Amino acid sequence: MTGKQKTADGKRQAAAAPALDGASPADSAVPAEAVVVTLPADCRIAAQVALKTVLIDALVAGKVMLDGRVVEHADTAGLQLLMLFQRELKSRGGTSSWRGASDALNDAAGLLGLSQTLELPAAALA
Amino acid sequence: MSAVDLTQFHKTFFEESLEGLDAMEAALLALGAGSTDSELVHTIFRAAHSIKGGAATFGFTDVAAFTHVAESLLEEVRSERRAVDAELVELLLRSVDALRAMLDRSGRGQPVADAESEALRAELVRLVSGEAAVAVVVAPKAAAVSGWDIGFVALPHLLQTGNDPLRVFRELQQLGRLEVVRAFIVDGAPSQLSALDPTQCYLGWDLRLHGATTRADIDAVFDWLDGDCELAIKPLAEAPAASAAVAAVANEPKPAAPVAPQAQQAIASSETSSIRVGIDKVDALINMMGELVITQSMLSEIGEKFEISQLERLRDGLAHLERTTRELQESVMRIRMLPIGSVFNRFPRLVHDLERKLDKRVKLELHGEGTELDKTVLEKIGDPLVHLVRNAIDHGLESPAQRKAAGKSETGTLKLNAYHEGGNIVVQISDDGAGLNHAAIVAKAQQRGLISVGQELSDAEVAELIFQPGFSTAAKATDLSGRGVGMDVVRRNVRDLGGGVGVRSVSGKGSIFTITLPLTLAIIDGLVTAVGSERYIVPLTSIVESLRLRAEAVRKIAGGGEVFHFRDEYLPIMRLHHAFGCVDAITDIESGIVVVVEEGGRRMGLLVDDLLGQQQAVVKSLEAHYRRVQGISGATILSDGSVALIVDVGGVVRLGRSKAA
Repeated sequence: MTGKQKTADGKRQAAAAPALDGASPADSAVPAEAVVVTLPADCRIAAQVALKTVLIDALVAGKVMLDGRVVEHADTAGLQLLMLFQRELKSRGGTSSWRGASDALNDAAGLLGLSQTLELPAAALA
Repeated sequence: MSAVDLTQFHKTFFEESLEGLDAMEAALLALGAGSTDSELVHTIFRAAHSIKGGAATFGFTDVAAFTHVAESLLEEVRSERRAVDAELVELLLRSVDALRAMLDRSGRGQPVADAESEALRAELVRLVSGEAAVAVVVAPKAAAVSGWDIGFVALPHLLQTGNDPLRVFRELQQLGRLEVVRAFIVDGAPSQLSALDPTQCYLGWDLRLHGATTRADIDAVFDWLDGDCELAIKPLAEAPAASAAVAAVANEPKPAAPVAPQAQQAIASSETSSIRVGIDKVDALINMMGELVITQSMLSEIGEKFEISQLERLRDGLAHLERTTRELQESVMRIRMLPIGSVFNRFPRLVHDLERKLDKRVKLELHGEGTELDKTVLEKIGDPLVHLVRNAIDHGLESPAQRKAAGKSETGTLKLNAYHEGGNIVVQISDDGAGLNHAAIVAKAQQRGLISVGQELSDAEVAELIFQPGFSTAAKATDLSGRGVGMDVVRRNVRDLGGGVGVRSVSGKGSIFTITLPLTLAIIDGLVTAVGSERYIVPLTSIVESLRLRAEAVRKIAGGGEVFHFRDEYLPIMRLHHAFGCVDAITDIESGIVVVVEEGGRRMGLLVDDLLGQQQAVVKSLEAHYRRVQGISGATILSDGSVALIVDVGGVVRLGRSKAA
C-alpha cells in the first residue's frame, strides 16, 4: 500500500526532476536533461505495476537517472523490471545511470548476481 | 509442495524400516545360533536393500549410505564370497542398532549420523573386500563432492506461487558459498516493457555452490519450487571425495535443519494416534455394521404402525439388536487388541546380549506369541517383562560350570509363554535355573527388618518377600538388575494395569513368574449386586460361584472373622456392607447371598443382599473424578442412570486380610 504511494511520489519527482536537481547541491552528477526516477522504499512485486508505468514514461526521456537510495526492500520481480527497463532503454539508444543505491538494493542484486548487469554503484558511493 | 507430499510418507518409511530391522535382527540371531538356512541371508539382504532404497528416496542420505555399505557386505555373504561367523553377526547386529538410532534421529529431525555410526560404517567399509569397492561405496552416497553446479531457470509463473529466487539463494547460501556464474534473461521475455507482466519471471541462473553439501540438502531447498522451475544439478567435477565425506558429516547439523522440523512434526502428530489393524477385523466391523442397519430398519418398520400382535417380532428385533450391539462392541474392542508377539520379539536380542555379557548359555523358547491383548496393556507390559527376563538370566540361570556341576545341561532354558485364561491374559516367564535362594532371601529380609529373626516362613511367604520395596539380594548391583528397584516396581506396574504377578519356585529346578493381566481396561463383564440401597458390580471373571448359606455353615473364628465351608476348604466371609459402610443392608447371612470370588489363587466369600443381573460395565475412573478408594476399581453408570461402583476383588481380598490380621 505504501509502495503505491511512494511510487506516485516517484512519478511526481520524475516529472519535477530538473527542479529538484538545482535544489540539491549534493546531486552534482545529474545531467540537466536526465529524468530521475526514484525507486520506492518497497520495491517488491506488489509495487511493480505502478513502477512499471513510471519506467515506461521514463523510456521516452532517453537519459534516465535511477535513484535507489531509499529502497528498503527489493525482490526478484523488482530487479527484473529494472533489468528489462535498462535493456529496452539501451535498445532505444538511451542511457541510464544511478544516483545511488541502498544496501538493501545492493544486497538483493548481489545475491541474484545482477549487480553488474544493472551497473549498480556500491551503496557507499551513493 | 513435494516436500509436504514426501514427509507424509516418512512415518510409513520409518515404520517399515523398523520392521525390516526387526526382521534383520531376528534372521541375524538365527544365523548366529548356527542356522545354515540360506533364506535367512536373503531376508537380511532384502531388508537392508529396501531400507536403503527408501532412505535414498526420502533423502535420508546418511541412512542410505550406511545401509549401502552393510548391503555390500551382505552381498558378499549372499554370493558366498564371505562366510558367516560370530564376528560378522555381531557387527551386523550393531549395525542394526546403529540404523535404529539413525532412523530415530531422522524422525526427530536431529543430525542423523553420529560418531558411533560413522565409526561403525568405517568398520563395515574396512570389512568389505577391496579398496576399490570402498571408494565406490563412499563417494556417491555420502555426496562427498566439493560443490555443485546448479542450472536454475524460473518458469514464468514462479513468482506468482509466492516463491522468490532471492529466498532460494539465501537458503543455498546457508549450505555453502554461493557463486552466481551467470544471470540471464530467458528468450521468451517480452522485449517491450509495456508488454511485461511484472509478476512473471523471465530470469535464469547458472550457480555454483561450493562446499561439501549433500545433494539431498540442495534438493530440499528446491523442493518448494517443484514444477515452478527448470533445474539441473551436477556435482563439481574432480572432487576430493574422501576428505569431503568427513566434512559433510561435520557440517550436517545446519543443512539438515530446513527439512527436519517437518519430519518431526509429522511423526509427533501421528505417533499417538495410529494403530495397525488387520483387514479381517475391519471387515468384521463392516459386517456387524450391516447387521445393525438391518435390525434398525426392521425395528423402525415395526414402530411405525405398531400393533400388539407384533410384540413377538419386536422382542425378536430387540434381542437381535442386543446381540449385534454386543458383537459390534467386541469387534471394536478387538481392533485395539494386538498380539503379544510384538513384545516377545524383542527378547531374542536381549537374551543374545545378556548371554555374552554374563557368559551364560540360554535357550529362549517363545510360546503363544499370537495371544492378543489390549494395546494400552501391551505398551505397558514391555518393561516389566524385560525386567523379569533379565532377572531370570542374571539371578535365575546359573553359569554353564555351575549347571554342569548340578548335573544339568550347560544351556539353560528360558521360556516365555502367553495364553488366555478366563478373561485374563497370563504371561509366564519360567527358567530351569537354581530357583529362589530361600536362605539368602530370608537373611536379607531379616537384615532389612522386613521379618523378625527366627520367624518361620513358608515357601510362598519367602517368595512374597522379593516383591517388597527395596528388596534385592544381588551381592553387587549390576547394570542388569539388582538396583533395588526390582520386583516391587514390576508388581506395582502390573497392578496398575489391573493385573497381578506371582512366583513359584523350586530350589534347584527353577522359577516361574506369572503375570496375570486383564484383556482390556475399558469394559468389564460384571454381576450387579445390591448392598443396601447401593449397587456394586463384581467382575464376572473373578466370580467362582454364588450361593445362599445356612446359618450353621458359618463358623466364627478367633479375632471376629467368619468362615464357611466351600468345596473342601474354609473361606473367609467379607461383608461388603461392613467393608464399604453401607447402612440398611441385610446383615443376616441366611437372607443374603454369598458371592465366592477368587483373586491370585485366594478365594473369599462376599456377602451381598441380592444379585440383580449381569451387565457390561464401561469403567470410569473413580480416581479421575473423585479419589482412589481401596477395594473399588472404578465406577460405571447403570441403565437407569444411577452410579454403581465396581468392586476391585484383589483389593477387597487384601482389605479382608488386613482386617483379619
